[in-house]
Amino acid sequence: MPEYTLLTVLAIVVVVLLDLVVARTRLLATLGFWLALAIMWAFQIPVDGWLTRLDAAIVRYDDRHFSGVRLFLDSPIEDFAFGFAMVLATLMVWTVLARRERSSVEDAGPSLDGRRLGDDGTAG
Amino acid sequence: MEPFHYLLVLLACLAITAPLEWVVGARVYRRPRRLTLTLVIAMTPFIVWDLVGIARGHWDFSSRYTLSIDLGGVMPLEELLFFVVIPICALLTHQAVLRLGARVWPRGRLAREARELGAVAPSTSEVEQGAPRA
Repeated sequence: MPEYTLLTVLAIVVVVLLDLVVARTRLLATLGFWLALAIMWAFQIPVDGWLTRLDAAIVRYDDRHFSGVRLFLDSPIEDFAFGFAMVLATLMVWTVLARRERSSVEDAGPSLDGRRLGDDGTAG
Repeated sequence: MEPFHYLLVLLACLAITAPLEWVVGARVYRRPRRLTLTLVIAMTPFIVWDLVGIARGHWDFSSRYTLSIDLGGVMPLEELLFFVVIPICALLTHQAVLRLGARVWPRGRLAREARELGAVAPSTSEVEQGAPRA
């Protein structure tokens, strides 16, 4: 398997496992994640295409190191897998940091708990 | 204009997503600490991957379409900025999807996810701004 192809597969496995086992954000089970990914992928077509289109390539890929499958504006198909891994990694880290910030706020003052319950659709 | 091709597309990405922060109300730029930490933690492995790709000859960069400011002699400045700009776009998109979803369907699935993920957490966003509670 070409190296870039192999590395994208590896990256997806690593990021997904990190999310499921270590970070446990449950992002992959949310509608919001998949909607955001779909939007990111849609915009990746022109943006990545601007970088990869063969008549004016900014980033030049060596055909020997990827599958050779180019989509839309000559973007290697691996780029979209790269995008998935990058988006998931970013949202995962953000979500973990947000969770830590909130739990430290809760530790600091119980008064916030009442507000949070009040805003919850089921409890309020 | 050709040397600006890479930089311009990154600026376009920032311009297109900016309203998500200042119109839709995503709070990504307004959490500079969390944003910076996220970028450093999440993007370091991808930057290393990029450097490996360059070293192994998986890809290279056109000097015609970049500013030719090569960090460490290998990575164009724009390529490093890519790993700042794209994750910001991803965060803004996700936060905006959650906030808009919660606004359109207050009892829907996105609204629940927005609360769980803190995109509309009462203790951070609305309460801080003093917005009236529904």
